[in-house]
Amino acid sequence: MRYLPSSPIEDRALLDAIGVADAEALLTGIPEPLRLRRELDLPTQSSEQEVAGQMQAMANRNTRFCAQFLGAGAYDHFVPSAIDALISRQEWFTAYTPYQPEISQGTLQHLFEYQTLICDLTGLEVTNASLYDGGTSCVEAALMAVRVAKKRHTVLVSRGLHPLYRDVLATNFAPHAELNLVEVGLKDGVTDLADLQAKLSSDVAAVLVGYPNFLGAVEDLAALAGPIHAAGALLVSVTQEAFAFGWLEAPGRVGADMACGEAMSLGNKPTYGGPFLGFLAVKDAHKRELPGRLVGQAKDLQDRTGYVLTLTAREQHIRRDKATSNICSNQGLVTLRANIFMQLAGPEGLRGLAKQNAAKAQYLRQRLLGLPDMAVVDDQPFFNEFVLRYTGDYAALEEACLQESLLPGLDLGRYYPEYQGCILWCATELHTRQMIESLVEILARVPATV
Amino acid sequence: MFLRQREPLIFERSVPGKRGMDLPRLDVPEAQDTRPAHLRRSSFDALPELSEVDVIRHFTRLSKWNYGVDDGIYPLGSCTMKHNPRLNEKVAGLAGFTDSHPMAPDALVQGNLELVYTLQSWLQEITGLPGVTLQPSAGAAGELTGVMLIRAYHLSRGAQRRVILIPDSGHGTNPATAAMAGYDVVEMPSQPDGTISFADVTDPSSGKVRKGLLSLVAELGPEIAGAMITNPNTVGVFEYRFKEISDLLHSIDALVYMDGANMNALIGVARPGDFGVDVMHLNLHKTFSTPHGGGGPGAGPVCCAEKLRPFLPVPVVVRDTVKAGEGAEPTHTYHWDWDRPQSIGKVHTFYGNFGILVRALTYCLSHGSDGLKAATLRAIVNANYIRVRLQGAYALHIDSPSLHEVVFSDTLQAKREVHTLDIAKRLIDHGYHPPTIYFPLIVPGAMMIEPTESEDKYELDAFCDTMLTIAREAEEIPEALHHAPILAPLRRLDETTAARKPVLRWQKPAAVQA
Repeated sequence: MRYLPSSPIEDRALLDAIGVADAEALLTGIPEPLRLRRELDLPTQSSEQEVAGQMQAMANRNTRFCAQFLGAGAYDHFVPSAIDALISRQEWFTAYTPYQPEISQGTLQHLFEYQTLICDLTGLEVTNASLYDGGTSCVEAALMAVRVAKKRHTVLVSRGLHPLYRDVLATNFAPHAELNLVEVGLKDGVTDLADLQAKLSSDVAAVLVGYPNFLGAVEDLAALAGPIHAAGALLVSVTQEAFAFGWLEAPGRVGADMACGEAMSLGNKPTYGGPFLGFLAVKDAHKRELPGRLVGQAKDLQDRTGYVLTLTAREQHIRRDKATSNICSNQGLVTLRANIFMQLAGPEGLRGLAKQNAAKAQYLRQRLLGLPDMAVVDDQPFFNEFVLRYTGDYAALEEACLQESLLPGLDLGRYYPEYQGCILWCATELHTRQMIESLVEILARVPATV
Repeated sequence: MFLRQREPLIFERSVPGKRGMDLPRLDVPEAQDTRPAHLRRSSFDALPELSEVDVIRHFTRLSKWNYGVDDGIYPLGSCTMKHNPRLNEKVAGLAGFTDSHPMAPDALVQGNLELVYTLQSWLQEITGLPGVTLQPSAGAAGELTGVMLIRAYHLSRGAQRRVILIPDSGHGTNPATAAMAGYDVVEMPSQPDGTISFADVTDPSSGKVRKGLLSLVAELGPEIAGAMITNPNTVGVFEYRFKEISDLLHSIDALVYMDGANMNALIGVARPGDFGVDVMHLNLHKTFSTPHGGGGPGAGPVCCAEKLRPFLPVPVVVRDTVKAGEGAEPTHTYHWDWDRPQSIGKVHTFYGNFGILVRALTYCLSHGSDGLKAATLRAIVNANYIRVRLQGAYALHIDSPSLHEVVFSDTLQAKREVHTLDIAKRLIDHGYHPPTIYFPLIVPGAMMIEPTESEDKYELDAFCDTMLTIAREAEEIPEALHHAPILAPLRRLDETTAARKPVLRWQKPAAVQA
């Protein structure tokens, strides 16, 4: 076995030094009835060549596309070559949690820079070294808001939030009988202000709103912040497409008290939904309730600047059942991808990419609306995703697209019955005019249904 | 080993006008600005302006201040820092996997579903537990999922139970998880070998009596939802009365959660499903060699007994077998089953850290049943070799063969005022990453060493020789060890002040003065 250092000579030397006849003699601590006295019923070892072939065959069984017009929480963007080259350095990808700061300054300084940039994107003051993904970031944000608010037990969630984020929230709120998760409805594709006002009360700790929301619409956070703050609740903005931070004002500057969501767009491919990059940024006043790992500046014995894991009194290995969360890892290598991406892009790159995304999405929408069976649903400002009503048959449209190796937008009816017959479309900088024209051409040929 | 020069924060290197990314030509009309004026992005305050050269050099230099598994033994106990095969990385980067979209219809991602199904069947056989979900993103997320399964089980039987029992030797995530799942934590005292004490334990110094497992079960009975037990425990010892513990808990309809962090000691040797475990998590980034990535991403699949299967997170992968005719080879297709009325729901937005699952299956296929068992045995031999070589020079916490890790304490060195922290920091000077220190909490001044199966005799000897040198240094120049490390890029850092006056991001100098 190529990964094991075994050889008969060496094995013997080790066993002799230990003073046992064989490795079995070291297993006497496991009671005999609990031992597995057969081989595992699995294939035996394989060469690198064989395994590479098997895995390649599996990858080939996924359908490949010339273009994907599907976003919905996982966005296909260009990934600069520097990212894979850098993260392939063993010092980055094989290292572990920087428990020993003197020997982990690379990871620690990187995380300090990453935290700085997430704060910059969100317009907030403190962020942790990442959370698992968009859905779990909402859970941590909501639970943190409950801790911050004290004696408030209700969290309002806009129906415009990613439906799977709402599912993850529901799973994690279920064990807490004392907490309520209440949905706020949509009106014209954005959070319904009247419904929000009706549901706000002195028991509401926080309101979670998509920015932009799942339907692609840009929610006016500033307008929502008024009534939310008047009720003494926190506004949590949830961004599932981090490129939007190059187009839309930082949530922290337009009334959000906390910003969470998904930042996979910064240097990652869709990869069937993970590993992704959850983030949570908050105000300085709330930092001691923040879950997860945090890196801070420190001085060494010679007064040189370095970085350490800090405010660990919030965490599970110190506080155990009183910790702010059970989280004990972060999305380490994914934060590194995001940090490298942000540093390559810089302010002009991020703005420029965002502008291109907006241009492509606007062009796609305009071209689709030229088709007789596509129509506007809610005419809201959007970034790189939007909803159109389709009077044809989605299955026929999908079939026609797949024939030509295009992945169409999302059939929204599955998640929003009120949007039955509507499609959520997405375009990014990867979509060329030619791809968009082929899509439109294919759709024009889809036979109309009765 | 380390780069000696300082690498400044990248923000200090920013020069207006530099570009690290050129945008493609725009082949459609410019975007119209439909944003409300107040929602237009205004300034960025930190994003730096750099060329690609600057960025590559920055992250290359920073990397040289890290220690990785390819530098040498990385003996962090309980973290299983084994070799990360390069094939796994290459395979995880295949475009067929990385380009696949999580909202794509099942028919278009048959390779992904086959991968999930196949990895699940390996984990089923390895653990002896029939139910599997690959959705949790990390060990702690797996724990939370597992405890929510326990909760769903009791609710389905019309009972809401209040308490989870956790031994005092357990990882901090266990009690934190139980609390997040809405339970009260009751601690079980352990015996000196870290195994759970059935009898009450009297603290020798305070005289305080802590109730053992038997008393707790008698007292709390129907309030106990389950217990979370690490096996082998954090001292590296098999919980030899595990079956008795699970029988006792099952007799009051409480369930047994096993923290699988130490599964590297058991694969091919014993199966949790055979000793009464109802639900457990595995750490793919430990036992199955997926890289630790500087802290993540990990993956924490949960395996469970038949009675907990209905509650597994949605969706669940299903294999459909079609046989064209008599004697024909069956063909398989796969789909996600979302219609699971008793499910606890979703625990990750999509299907978990899929890229990590690709690496873990590659590890399984490479090793096979024989390689997996050989790895287990070698990990155990390596830990015992270290035990034998270092005993005498360092105080062994327990004097019997260990499984995959061995725990020493600093009691011999403490006589010269040299403590575990000093020993750990001195290891850095000698070019090694220190072991896990001050854990488990039940061993004062603990040094928990887990070599894994990746180390050969040469590497083990080099590490042990260094540990013996440090033991001598502790005798001869104890004062000097308090100053360690002296050869790393930085000396010891003042973590107290860092926490008292936290600086958690860089700010433009002007903003600091304001």
